[in-house]
Amino acid sequence: MATTTEAERTTPVWTKADAKASRKANNKLHRKEHAWAAAFMAAPVIGWVAFLLFPMGFSIYASMTNWNGIGNMTFIGLDNYTRLLQDPYFWKALWNTVFYMIGIPIGLAISLALALALSRNIRGRTFFRTVYYIPVISSLAAIAILWQWAYNGDFGLVNQALALVGIQGPNWLMDPLWAKPALIIMAVWKGLGYSTLLYLAAVQAVPRSLYEAASLDGATSWKRFTKITWPMVRPVTFFLVVTNIIAGSMIFTEINIMTPTGGPSWSTASLVWYVWNQAFRNLNMGYATAMALVLGILVLIVTIIQFRINRANDFSID
Amino acid sequence: MNRKLTTAVAVTFAGALMLSACSSGGSSGDSSDNPDTSGGDAPNELTFMFRGGEYDKLAYEAAIASFEEETGADVTMIITDADQYNTKLQAAIAGNKVPDVFYVDPANMMGYVYAGVLADLSGYVDQSVVDNLWSFGVDAYRMNIETGARGVDGDPFYGLPKDVGPFGFGFNTVLFDKLGLEHPSLDEPMTFDEFTELAKQLTVDMDGDGELDHWGTGLNVMWNSQAFIWGAGADWISEDQKTITVDTPEFAEALQWFADLGLVEGVTPSAEQAQTLDTYQRWMAGEIGFFPVAPWDIATYNDKAANDPENFGYEVIPYPVANEGDDWATWLGSLGIGVSENSANKELAAELAVYLSTDLDAQKTLADGKVQIPNLIDYATGEWIETDAAASGWPSNSKAFLEIAQEKGRPLPMIYTYTPQWYDNFWIGIENVVDNGSQTAADFLAAKQPEMQQLLDQSWISADQAKAQG
Repeated sequence: MATTTEAERTTPVWTKADAKASRKANNKLHRKEHAWAAAFMAAPVIGWVAFLLFPMGFSIYASMTNWNGIGNMTFIGLDNYTRLLQDPYFWKALWNTVFYMIGIPIGLAISLALALALSRNIRGRTFFRTVYYIPVISSLAAIAILWQWAYNGDFGLVNQALALVGIQGPNWLMDPLWAKPALIIMAVWKGLGYSTLLYLAAVQAVPRSLYEAASLDGATSWKRFTKITWPMVRPVTFFLVVTNIIAGSMIFTEINIMTPTGGPSWSTASLVWYVWNQAFRNLNMGYATAMALVLGILVLIVTIIQFRINRANDFSID
Repeated sequence: MNRKLTTAVAVTFAGALMLSACSSGGSSGDSSDNPDTSGGDAPNELTFMFRGGEYDKLAYEAAIASFEEETGADVTMIITDADQYNTKLQAAIAGNKVPDVFYVDPANMMGYVYAGVLADLSGYVDQSVVDNLWSFGVDAYRMNIETGARGVDGDPFYGLPKDVGPFGFGFNTVLFDKLGLEHPSLDEPMTFDEFTELAKQLTVDMDGDGELDHWGTGLNVMWNSQAFIWGAGADWISEDQKTITVDTPEFAEALQWFADLGLVEGVTPSAEQAQTLDTYQRWMAGEIGFFPVAPWDIATYNDKAANDPENFGYEVIPYPVANEGDDWATWLGSLGIGVSENSANKELAAELAVYLSTDLDAQKTLADGKVQIPNLIDYATGEWIETDAAASGWPSNSKAFLEIAQEKGRPLPMIYTYTPQWYDNFWIGIENVVDNGSQTAADFLAAKQPEMQQLLDQSWISADQAKAQG
């Protein structure tokens, strides 16, 4: 007669057959869930392939072809890339595009100042918040036309306003020296409302207790700003810098409307404007694609650097 | 069942994504953002893609209704914004959704011909029809596919004119009368010297406040200098379209004279005052003596003359020439109607193109709306110039427009080359010659010639490559 120990009686033996049966039961149980998961995952994966991977691959190939955008492509290797290195207008347009970025810190500084002002309990706060936001929701084309008028050298609003304080304004859009600053001023004005809104939310989210503690320690207003407000709104600053650089690198509409031939001495032509002209006016779609890819890579590099810098300066207030 | 459902959902998702990526979206609605531009499949179906204003739509709706009635065709009209037309057409071609019939710009035509997009219409149009159209209206669409030569009589043509646009010149009759000046001749061109003298007399401080109230002229160099350059016997490009010819003494003298109108003679508003829109506004306000007058301006000018007769009235005259006896010239534009080489109904499509270009009622509607001069020579030089033009408010000297269409008009210099980049390059830095005078015309042109030549050579290389690639 076989005898068993206490342990043998209470611990069931888990055989291979049991494991197999369990897996089978499990598989059956989750099969439906797995199928649904696959279905839901399929949508973004297919979307990613169709709208990102394929166009990206196609663009890379197109950039290595001689293609006018309507006929057949001929593979020419890296010729388009060597061509752009020798194209003075590519470098001029790239320089113009980089120059436009000057507007980003200026816009952010003004936005932060406005956000700080609007976060205080001043009269007409809601009115000002609305007024500053109106340009953001207005059509860029309409704004560009209005500013074109405002910049008129003879009777434009800007020069009339300057004349009131005794300054004779330049002929903004006709002067190679002033055409780019004119576009920067307009871009800053247009983007002010959006940046201010984000900064306002960030400023209002700073715990009051930090300011109170700093005040008790005798910190001045400037100290409170540099040591509390500025670090606390830095994630918003980071977000705005990244998005503004990406948006700024794509500047096109206002240039095409306000200076449709690229401005005096080509002083306003941005890289995207040049890409568009090469693609659709000069039938150099392959070359235009190469330039667009170079611009994309440059923006990517700048963004990666920004992320690195941001990570290095990261902090928490635990 | 569940597995089937799951598969269906996944396929639906994937299909929706793929369709939204690949389709042009929407039905053949006439002005949706992404209309289906594909040519018709059924034997009588056609699509017609075009751009234009209210009168174009009106004229073509009526013409197409008649065409449909006569032929049993079913035509879908696709209208796009003017500034987006070329981009949308190019996208439609790249997406293999070429409309059966569409507007084509003669400046973009070579690429379309080499890519096998445009059909040769020579075999579909009777010679009698061609003979009754302004020669430029057909020549603008002629191309020798072997040599790349353009505009040569006898070569195949790949479009018919939607219109021809004579860029005329005019003067403010009211301002002349106000200042007691004799009107310039309606038939004979002034010389540059005569024009400058008149312009000086028109540049006046009327109220003695030290500010000029009127100017002789105010011309945009990019759009108005061509007539003066040609009037001096110079040109941008050689007849075979292979050599840049801006570095000639005639060209330099004409351009310098044009610049000196403002810089030396002071008969134009200053650079600050002379941005394009402003000179137009000043002309409309009766402040400028001489200004361009084109058919598409007539309706606006007439309204202004009717509402402000004390300041504005106008008449059309020839452009000035450098010396007495020289031939005057100005530019003549055109927009064409082309047919898809791959249209399933090419013959019917060609028939529609001919109809839209030559239908008398459509031509009357467009001329009546002061959109364009008629395409049909017999009508334009007969009934229209004799009675219809005056009745519908065209200026009394509208025969000048016909003269431009028939004889004096020339295509803009870049029309007959594969790409316009060489010509666009000419205008970069032109303000240094005409606005601030920091560079002489001769120096500017000497520096420009090699740069433009390089771009023109590149244009021909690209044309040859496009021809080889198809």
